[in-house]
Amino acid sequence: MPRIRVMVDPDLCIGAASCVTIAPETFQLNEENKAWVFDHGQEPEDRHTYERWLEVTDDEKENIILAAQSCPTLAIFIFDEAGVQLFPEI
Amino acid sequence: MKFLIIGGGVAGTTAAEELRKRDASAQITILSEEHHPLYSRVLLPHYMKGKVPRERVFLKRDAWYASQNIEWVTGVLAQHLDGRNKFVGGSDGREYPYDKLLIATGGEVRSLDEDLRGVSYLRTLDDADHFLQLVTEQGSRARGVVYGGGFIACEYINLFKHMSIPTTVVHRGPHFWTRSLLPEAGELIAKTLKMGGVELHENTSLQSLTGDSELQGIMTSGGEFSATILGVGIGIEPDLSWLRQAGMEVGTGVKANEFLETNIPDVFTAGDIAEFDDPITGRQLQIGNWMNAMSQGRTVAKSMTGEQTSFQLVSSYATNVLGLEIIFVGDVERTAAEKVHIIGSVADGGITQVFERAGRIVGGVLIGRNTDRASITKAIQEKQPFSSLNLL
Repeated sequence: MPRIRVMVDPDLCIGAASCVTIAPETFQLNEENKAWVFDHGQEPEDRHTYERWLEVTDDEKENIILAAQSCPTLAIFIFDEAGVQLFPEI
Repeated sequence: MKFLIIGGGVAGTTAAEELRKRDASAQITILSEEHHPLYSRVLLPHYMKGKVPRERVFLKRDAWYASQNIEWVTGVLAQHLDGRNKFVGGSDGREYPYDKLLIATGGEVRSLDEDLRGVSYLRTLDDADHFLQLVTEQGSRARGVVYGGGFIACEYINLFKHMSIPTTVVHRGPHFWTRSLLPEAGELIAKTLKMGGVELHENTSLQSLTGDSELQGIMTSGGEFSATILGVGIGIEPDLSWLRQAGMEVGTGVKANEFLETNIPDVFTAGDIAEFDDPITGRQLQIGNWMNAMSQGRTVAKSMTGEQTSFQLVSSYATNVLGLEIIFVGDVERTAAEKVHIIGSVADGGITQVFERAGRIVGGVLIGRNTDRASITKAIQEKQPFSSLNLL
């Protein structure tokens, strides 16, 4: 299964929640109305974070990229295991 | 198969992208009034505050359209629709034939009758560039006035604050978002503005501009205010005239069923201009936000390629004004609700309004109460009554 690093820039995130709509297992809004990264819906109370490594299936990876693409402020960054930025394309 | 898309914004471009995924050989044409490739309007305030460089607002590059084999025609307005012979007449004199047509032209900003240098609108990238140019030109002599009581007014207030430009806000209604907010919620916003140093004039309408070529002030029903930059945010209005002439059923937007089909065969609509049957809230809605436009673009592409798909989304929009978070979820039209419940208070610093119709929740406005969002969204989706909601 591919490993990807998913990161949200909280300065750019405005809580539009497009990512939550498309990939609720990966993104959930926090009290500040910014998206935290979840691991398959799991998030231990003390480990809330804007960035994490995820092991995902190819379908899940595609859906997470779709969620990132839907973000109107491009606040979501996705990298592969080698550190190559998959989204936003540069 | 010939797909023709009128409008190069997020609804139209997302539809084009999805159509290409679903049909590798179809002919796809986008007519766009603007010359820029797709960019994020939502990122414009970030760009204007210097949080992201200008090139970061673009979501597509010029080369993307060719790489997807999408014909991208810029600087052209659609002026005429012939639904019988299936073509659209463009402002360039060309006739654009179609098998399936998508109307995704969004809305035009409502503008003032007068214009002087210093009057600013905020819809397009060119508008953003123009605002920044005004700020640079004027330097420390800039004085900001915001006319309006909605989302764009909030953006102007935040921009002026960010640039330390003294700010006066004038709006016609008794408070912000009069179609959605109860007076108490309006009061919470007004209080936040006043505490943030904004001079606020409610129930006040703009009468005229003062100044020769450059703006010096505005005359209102409540007196004259000096202004070198006037940020106007009084709503958008779609251009429906050419569609009405073609026999299209229109209201405040283009009327559509839940599959985003209009009354003219093979003509679809999506985005800010679509006034569609919403199966979730059971009412016709017209929603002007990013999430709605993008999702409709994706859904309508399915219907256009023969997989008739109902558009189902509890859409939401979030903004903040001077640090106060404001979130709209679902159907937030006061007059269409049977009951609007209120939770919290001005003294608490947070108010949530819950809109109920036919015994179920259809919408919510959350001001300074972000944590109510998930439960209200879920309650709308699941058509739950207010009594099932457990908000503290």
